[in-house]
Amino acid sequence: MTSALELVNLRKSFGQTEIIRGVDLSIPKGERHAIIGPNGAGKSTLFNLITGRFPQTAGVVELNGQDLAGKAPYEINRLGLSRSFQITNIFPMMTVFENVRCSLLWSRGYKYSFWNLVARSNDLTEAADAILEQINLTARRELPAGVLSYAEQRALEIGITIAGGANVIMLDEPTAGMSHSETDYIVELIRKVTENKTLVMVEHDMGVVFGLADRISVLVYGEIIATGAPEEVRANPRVQEAYLGAAMEAH
Amino acid sequence: MSNASTNSRILFGQPVSVLLPWIIAAIILLILPVFLGSRSQLTILSQMGITIVFALAYNMLLGQGGMLSFGHAVYMGLGSFMCLHVMNATWFGALPLPLLPLIGGFFGLIFAFIIGSFSTRKAGTVFAMISLGIGELFAALVLIVTVFFGGEEGISGYRDEGLPFFGIEFISNLEVYYLISIWMFVAVVLMYLFSRTPVGRMANAVRDNPERAEFLGYSARWVRFASFTVSGFFCGVAGGLSAILFEIATETDLNVTASGAILLITFLGGVGFFWGPIIGAIVFTLLATVLGLQTHLWELYLGVVFVGVVMFFPAGLSGIIMSHVPALKTGKLGTLVMPYITCVLPGVIGGLGIAALVEMSFHVRSGAADEHEMTLFWIDFSTHNVLPWVVPLVIAVVGVGLAVRNAPAFKAAWDNASTLPEAA
Amino acid sequence: MDLFFVNIIDGLVFGLLLFMLSSGLTLIFSMMGVLNFAHASFYMLGAYFAYQISTVIGLGFIGGLIVAPIIVGVAGAAIERYGLRRVHQYGHVPELIFTFGLALLVQEVVKFFWGQNQIAYFEPEWLNFALFSIGQNTIEAYKVFMILISMLIFGGLLYILTKTRIGMIIQAALTYPKTVEALGHNVPMVFMGVFGVGTALAGVAGVIAGPALGTFPGMAFTLGSIVFVTIVVGGLGSLRGALAASLLIGWITTFAAAYNFEFRTILLAFGLEEPANIWDSGLRDLWTLTLPQIGPILPYILMVAILVFRPHGLMGKREV
Repeated sequence: MTSALELVNLRKSFGQTEIIRGVDLSIPKGERHAIIGPNGAGKSTLFNLITGRFPQTAGVVELNGQDLAGKAPYEINRLGLSRSFQITNIFPMMTVFENVRCSLLWSRGYKYSFWNLVARSNDLTEAADAILEQINLTARRELPAGVLSYAEQRALEIGITIAGGANVIMLDEPTAGMSHSETDYIVELIRKVTENKTLVMVEHDMGVVFGLADRISVLVYGEIIATGAPEEVRANPRVQEAYLGAAMEAH
Repeated sequence: MSNASTNSRILFGQPVSVLLPWIIAAIILLILPVFLGSRSQLTILSQMGITIVFALAYNMLLGQGGMLSFGHAVYMGLGSFMCLHVMNATWFGALPLPLLPLIGGFFGLIFAFIIGSFSTRKAGTVFAMISLGIGELFAALVLIVTVFFGGEEGISGYRDEGLPFFGIEFISNLEVYYLISIWMFVAVVLMYLFSRTPVGRMANAVRDNPERAEFLGYSARWVRFASFTVSGFFCGVAGGLSAILFEIATETDLNVTASGAILLITFLGGVGFFWGPIIGAIVFTLLATVLGLQTHLWELYLGVVFVGVVMFFPAGLSGIIMSHVPALKTGKLGTLVMPYITCVLPGVIGGLGIAALVEMSFHVRSGAADEHEMTLFWIDFSTHNVLPWVVPLVIAVVGVGLAVRNAPAFKAAWDNASTLPEAA
Repeated sequence: MDLFFVNIIDGLVFGLLLFMLSSGLTLIFSMMGVLNFAHASFYMLGAYFAYQISTVIGLGFIGGLIVAPIIVGVAGAAIERYGLRRVHQYGHVPELIFTFGLALLVQEVVKFFWGQNQIAYFEPEWLNFALFSIGQNTIEAYKVFMILISMLIFGGLLYILTKTRIGMIIQAALTYPKTVEALGHNVPMVFMGVFGVGTALAGVAGVIAGPALGTFPGMAFTLGSIVFVTIVVGGLGSLRGALAASLLIGWITTFAAAYNFEFRTILLAFGLEEPANIWDSGLRDLWTLTLPQIGPILPYILMVAILVFRPHGLMGKREV
């Protein structure tokens, strides 16, 4: 069986500096996978390489067995991969409902059509409302997304990411900048909406990582130094050294 | 919304409340000539209709797609020139005139398709600069390619040489008014519906956040390209209507000044609401024709108003109107009447006082030496007396002074009326 | 050959004039991210103020050359402080629209004070003589004066940008605008200063170009779009690019206007036959086309081509 996501010797350089230095990773379908690592390890760059935001310098990214080289973000999305962003990335001037409805359009086959009226499509309205219900924003349906609270915008960001029904979901620091109660709410939300899907996430909060992930990869200076179940990774001496070492250097 | 329709009346599959503004608009268009039936009034109304179509087409880019074009008159102008060439063609006699705007629209679409194929690659500054370059290019081409554009005289034709349409030959201004009104109504409905389609909705999304839209499966470039092409079609329709009304097209129809004017009109009306540019087109046409007859300085006033709107009310006239909605919802709109009278009214009167002083200075400077009689606000006076200078000066100082003094009270009343009480 | 050298000089004069505008515009763009549509309006104000100071008040040409740019710079700084900074919060598109509206307003204000027609602003008597001649073409002293003033200003600009502290900050802002944003309190002042100096430079250009190119209400829009073209072609944010593009466009337009090359020569060379009655032919525009006719549109063709094929411009590091 092919894995959901397969990275082979993936590399990325910016000028002289190699940020991603040969990453090999295989994530099977249905797994919840977390990527952790110290600041500047290249986690966000890795995300951007997988989702087509940057072209890779060398190596292969495969989604469900299909090579993604040279594909634009929208083409990758159409193949069933959807992502969220570290910095909230929504449509601020549109209503919450419209944010979600726009996220549904492509996957429901509306494409670039100008002969359908979106308000006439009950399936769209119902699906969008169902997602609002799921992310607990039904009461905010008609507000412009830009006025929501930070936690609500993060929830909406996840709603937008999952709306298209992609089977590989990538979340970039979904709980960044959140309080404890907000984090708990988002973790429950992620658990709920990624049921039966492949989840790849970058996260700093170890509570979230160990609570959600089936497997964890540790990225240090552009290389994966360990991959495995949470307990294995926690016990790995190289991981402990990397984290402690980084902590020492920072002081 | 589907759940709102359950208890209201249904007409053509739509709740009456949704159709009501359209029905009212249609009735107004139908009966307007009863009140404004003179030749010149009908021409102004027809021109207003054309400007509405053009402004809404422009706002498909600026307001809905976030694309700032400095050369959009090109598509309307080319549509207009194409239609005039059709009017001069031998087979025009076989074409009913009401179909002519469709030809304009077709060519507007073709040109937008060609130019949009490379100009919509990026939004923002690149798009704006390419549009400016294209605008300048075509304005210069008009004077070079004289076979097509007719040089400085332009191209003219006769609308009544077309095939009579159910016996109508479109000789009278009234017939032309109705033809333009019907086309405008249809075009406005179609543009409104376009904004409700998947690609119309995604235009909003791409405007707000092109990168996010790409991660939802849409190519931002394709969405922009689609909006641009459709906008080109409606610009071409407006051009066709203009060809019918004026029976001439010249360089001034597609130069950069014409493109600037439509930007001004659209922004003045407000880009945030679908109907904003309609307000802009109506107000601008009235200002240009009515105020333009009264004073040589109307463009100066327009410039002041425009810069003021960009600085203080970037949502335009429609934004100002819609900012009263919260007060309406809280039921406290009535509490704003007094603040309006004590603050906004003196401000407006003071502004008119300043305008009077400006007019008088202009009259003194540019009029002939022995000519000191002038008429302002229906009052005749001599600019060589002192009193006519003192009166507007006092009005200006007192009016603006009152407005400034009462501004805090106005703001307090506004905030109070626009916010719901805490208990709710 | 004589004509060639004359055109080299004329193109240099026009190119340097363009650079005086485009250098300020590109500096402003690099720092604030806004393309100032009204930049050429300050150029126009420079010419009109200089006229008022030198002719009406009677301070002479040098008086206008010194005082007018200062007034223009102060006006520019005030517009940045009270206008642009306010609109900045709404985003880039409203900013661009604001400067566009400003350009319209300045044009109307100029019409109000000085009228619709060209005003009598001329080069001073003491520069109104033939300095030297190339073949049978004389070169006026005023042209050489324009070149000297432009050179002097670049010298000053170059010195400030490379040798002073404030210049270092501006240099840094060209390449790393975000870092300059992080410099703290100074940034708004630096912005206002750069805007003021940029507009003052445009004012200088107006003072010296007014007599040569004519001082009339449409002068801002006539030159303004060419200046835009220049900085886009040169690459936004690149001073060297702005210089290269200014000279390039200066020479292109000058040479295109000077050589009455007819396109029928090319058509005949391809073995095509000229229609007997040219004025009834549908192709008459092609057969009668001359180089001076298409000269004015060459810069726009160049810009569109650059934007489509090389969005960084000739030397820009950032995409537009």
